[in-house]
Amino acid sequence: MASLSEEVLLVVKKVRQRKQDGTLYLMAERIAWGPEGKDRFTVSHLYADIRCQKISPDGKAKVQLQLVLHSGESTTFHFANESTALKDREAAKELLQQLLPKFKKKANKELEEKNRMLQEDPVLFQLYKDLVVSQVISAEEFWANRLGGVTNTDPAQYKYKQEVGISGAFLADIRPQTDGCNGLRYNLTADIIESIFRTYPAVKQKYNENVPHNLTEKEFWTRFFQSHYFHRDRINTGTQDIFSECAKQDEKGLKSMVVQGVKNPLVDLLSLEDKTLDEGYGVCGAQPSTSNSNRTVKESSNYAIIKRFNHHSAMVLAAGSRKGETPTDQASETSSTDGNSRDSDFFQPPVKKVKLQEEYEDLQQENRPKTVPLNLKKSDRYAHGPVPLQSQQYTTSQDIINSVNYIQHEMANYKPNLTQVLSSTVATSAISALSPGGVLMQAGAQQAINQMVPSEVQGELKHLYVAAGELLRHFWSCFPVNTPFLEEKVIKMKSNLERFQLTKLRPFQEKIQRQYLSTNLTGHLEEMLQTAYNKFHIWQTRRMMRKT
Amino acid sequence: MPSGTGKTISLLSLIVAYQRAFPLEVTKLIYCSRTVPEIEKVVEELRKLMEFYSKQTRESNNFLALALSSRRNLCIHPEVSSLRFGKEVDGKCHSLTASYIRAQHHSNPSFPVCQFYEEFDAVGRQVPLPAGIYNLDDLKDFGRRKGWCPYYLARYSILHANIVVYSYHYLLDPKIADLVSKELAKKSVVVFDEAHNIDNVCIDSMSVNITRRTLDHCQNNVDTLHNTIHKIKETDAAKLKEEYRRLVEGLKEANVARETDVYLSNPVLPDEILQEAVPGTIRTAEHFVGFLRRFLEYLKSRLRVQHVIQESAPQFLKDIYDKVCIDRKPLRFCAERLQSLLRTLEITDIADFSAATLISNFATLVSTYSQGFTIIIEPFEDRTPTIANPVLHFSCMDPSIAIKPVFQRFQSVIITSGTLSPLDIYPRILDFHPVTMASFTMTLARTCLCPLIVGRGNDQVALSSKFETREDFAVIRNYGNLLMEMSAIVPDGIVAFFTSYVYMENIVASWYEQGILENIQRNKLIFIETQDAAETSMALEKYQEACENGRGAILLSVARGKVSEGIDFVHHFGRAVIMFGVPYVYTQSRILKARLEYLRDQFQIRENDFLTFDAMRHAAQCVGRAIRGKTDYGLMIFADKRYARADKRGKLPRWIQEHITDGSLNLTVDEAVQLSKHFLRQMAQPFRQEDQLGLSLLTLEQLESEEMLQKIAQVAHQT
Repeated sequence: MASLSEEVLLVVKKVRQRKQDGTLYLMAERIAWGPEGKDRFTVSHLYADIRCQKISPDGKAKVQLQLVLHSGESTTFHFANESTALKDREAAKELLQQLLPKFKKKANKELEEKNRMLQEDPVLFQLYKDLVVSQVISAEEFWANRLGGVTNTDPAQYKYKQEVGISGAFLADIRPQTDGCNGLRYNLTADIIESIFRTYPAVKQKYNENVPHNLTEKEFWTRFFQSHYFHRDRINTGTQDIFSECAKQDEKGLKSMVVQGVKNPLVDLLSLEDKTLDEGYGVCGAQPSTSNSNRTVKESSNYAIIKRFNHHSAMVLAAGSRKGETPTDQASETSSTDGNSRDSDFFQPPVKKVKLQEEYEDLQQENRPKTVPLNLKKSDRYAHGPVPLQSQQYTTSQDIINSVNYIQHEMANYKPNLTQVLSSTVATSAISALSPGGVLMQAGAQQAINQMVPSEVQGELKHLYVAAGELLRHFWSCFPVNTPFLEEKVIKMKSNLERFQLTKLRPFQEKIQRQYLSTNLTGHLEEMLQTAYNKFHIWQTRRMMRKT
Repeated sequence: MPSGTGKTISLLSLIVAYQRAFPLEVTKLIYCSRTVPEIEKVVEELRKLMEFYSKQTRESNNFLALALSSRRNLCIHPEVSSLRFGKEVDGKCHSLTASYIRAQHHSNPSFPVCQFYEEFDAVGRQVPLPAGIYNLDDLKDFGRRKGWCPYYLARYSILHANIVVYSYHYLLDPKIADLVSKELAKKSVVVFDEAHNIDNVCIDSMSVNITRRTLDHCQNNVDTLHNTIHKIKETDAAKLKEEYRRLVEGLKEANVARETDVYLSNPVLPDEILQEAVPGTIRTAEHFVGFLRRFLEYLKSRLRVQHVIQESAPQFLKDIYDKVCIDRKPLRFCAERLQSLLRTLEITDIADFSAATLISNFATLVSTYSQGFTIIIEPFEDRTPTIANPVLHFSCMDPSIAIKPVFQRFQSVIITSGTLSPLDIYPRILDFHPVTMASFTMTLARTCLCPLIVGRGNDQVALSSKFETREDFAVIRNYGNLLMEMSAIVPDGIVAFFTSYVYMENIVASWYEQGILENIQRNKLIFIETQDAAETSMALEKYQEACENGRGAILLSVARGKVSEGIDFVHHFGRAVIMFGVPYVYTQSRILKARLEYLRDQFQIRENDFLTFDAMRHAAQCVGRAIRGKTDYGLMIFADKRYARADKRGKLPRWIQEHITDGSLNLTVDEAVQLSKHFLRQMAQPFRQEDQLGLSLLTLEQLESEEMLQKIAQVAHQT
């Protein structure tokens, strides 16, 4: 076999792929399959390329395992050995389960990062398409420059990104389904587990304590779903349940929250009433006792539900606003486990708040200078902003007034000097040159580029500019060339530029010629490229001279 | 008019203007409101008004206005103010400021007293508080600067202040009013704001409940008294003799001079207090303690009943005379005699004696009033007939008793609220003749409220919380559907009110079982009011936080609960209010039945009328929480088909009634969702000043124009 030197971790025979019998090999770095009787692999995937594995449900006749790759392709293996199919599949699955995460982390992080960048930045994506997909430069080259930035500057940005909160209904998403016989199936995804951990740090703690020493993961979650903790209407019954402690902890958290009281006096019901009647006075002074002693079971279970809901919502809210803190080290954040996010500074002192509530803008005296209301005839134009690309020199109003004065002054003193006028022919030619379409009015055409050129061409031109800009950036960043690496790169970049001119710019030029558009459009682009070439030549001749 | 439409500022500016024009006619404005935040808001409004005055007139006016609240909100003593409950603060304050404590401090300087009170007592009274507007925090600041006790400073200053803002207990509850508001001038104008519940406040202030626990506490109190008397007799018998002598001469007044000594005053109204000396049978301390013992034993025996007993005050008095030979007259002096004894014995921790005080107050009340009160003894709660928990309710049924002295004493009394409706029932239950009555609607530049009556579910099941159908799963499911659909379309906060705690608990449980709550959680977080105020406060705060950060939340709450009465849901804190059912009071309660009977007999108010009135004012309170001004907007969903009936609908405040169209009387859930979507979309458009000009915002010229004045006269719905 081709690569026997690799360490083979598992061999499974009688595995079908595309209706062909064969053997599945799990090796240190890849998974491979070869048809029976041949000593080469027709299927071979690096673990790093595999996104996930899927297995067919237990009840199905065919025992299958599917690998989904990052590229979106998938490969399905059918375990055909009747007697041991399931066992084989389980073995392969287990092994993969252990192997994949190792490779996944490294590959994924980078890939995800790149993916994220491309998704977030449409310009970059276009650039990527222009340069990499059309193979002007290789993907590695493209990213070499980018990712440097990613690792340096982006993490900071990444941190600032708003953290995704937790859906309030994440427990509802674990919809139990009956599996036909006497059982329930809960669907648990990594997201939900994450949500549970973030919302209920106590559960996370339990998980860390018990898994995997005492329980397997599966057992842990099974117990979780069986516990009264999950079923909120059940009342704490036994102590053998590992989650009863969580419940107690929650209870404590809730209590501490209550004891702390609220910061906003406007919602503090305790201090709302100015003079609470003393105990014993009032019509219904004998409050229906809240103690559990004379509550029926149903009532106290209802009460438990209400309490749990309040707690749950508070925890979800707190988990969302618990920024930066990693919920991993649980002991250090006793304050946040009780669901309190006290860092929000939105509550103001009482009087301020009182004042705030009764402000009406329209009753305030106008203090600021009167402004002219903006009257828009075409609001959509306002919304899209000015379109024509013009380089304008703005003149201040003072300048304009001055010049008007000046002109007025000039006009007042104007005396026609009839001896020095132009001849009529010259005058007419001058007028025709100055009227629209005339020689001197060509400059005006550029202003209207957005009207003259179809939008698709414009778009294409824009992409060309971006791409060229990117390449040129790479090119110019090589100067001053002081290392061999840069030398190499600058030569490569020059050839890249030439390639770009050949494969992208030329066709575009031809296209616009075909459409009888002014070739001027690409003039600037070519100029830019030419400048780069010139620079390159100068550098090269210098180098030659130095060498000789 | 809901609050936020300028009720407070209109009243204030009108009365202040009158006060400035006729300083001798109207000497004082007493503005009573309900909660501490509301009191503070009034003062802030007043501050704005005064700023405007001084800006327009270019001279500083010498108005003194201040807010008064309990010690808990005003205390600056580092130790005392750190206590959390009002009762503790009062007790601790008393133990530092009572006159005999201070006397002891004189002889022995190491005895702790409150230096703030000492400072105030030494110099604070000589110079009146400088003119200005003092909110609670301003008073505290001032007190800290000067080193004076803000509470006593405020209590002292209300006597000469032009405007006093405090809670209505200070005027209506005779126990407190006698201490605080006794000397306020007759020529004052009294305003009761948020007064839709004023009858209940009156009743509460005169009612007493006695449980077995109270009696046990009282027993301990009496024992302590007994021991203390013994001790004092051995050491300082002269003191008791002195007290006896004073009581003989009827010199009790001379003793009351010290403001800090009295914790709660006589529970009966001033005009009922007998102006004679304490009868001989309870004049000596031992006799009085013995008298209390007997009374206590009698009450204990009464609580040992097996069935419900209802009787009137004269019946009770006759029974007590027959059984333990207690006369009516000493009973009437019971409260006063106890106060005197506590003072003489120099009891420091007066809060400990609340049980004895309660019993003695009950004795005084029951022997003073023969009309308008009823005594109900219940051996157990209705829901738990197996657990003995006997309660003696001594309940006032006539709110006019407590408010009558206010009407008699002050020259003008104004009762106002956003939800006084129907107006004509208030004069009847409070027993007075109004000089003028008017109800105003709102002038809105845009219809910022959208009342919808949802009477049917999508499956055409009639929605109602009435007793027969409230356990019906179809109704509960449809209610759940309504909330779920609303949670999907309404931005930010939704508040839902149920008719009672029990009902809410049941519905929440069955929504949980049916998975409705989980679906709602996909859209918004859920917070639920509980009977524990601290827990609810926390839920409320979290609710606001969730609205604030854009996640959106639902608050499930209870009509007549604390949230429905005191908390505003401004702007995004409440974009929709859903009222599940009609919040009728628990009609099986015997106290309520007795009250209804009394209303029927005395005031010719039919039971159903009163019940509906009561339910509708609470419903209006609940839905009114969402609209707090003209820039605010909100949906009001009445989810019960009974709201469509004319007798219910007609009792809603006019500003809500006006916007209920015939088309929105009996909607299904789907239809309501469609209308809501439309409404919310419209409301989300920018709301500019120009749109309001001439409608809800007037320039001075517009205001003075003939046309507008006519319009205003028209709007004021004179009755």
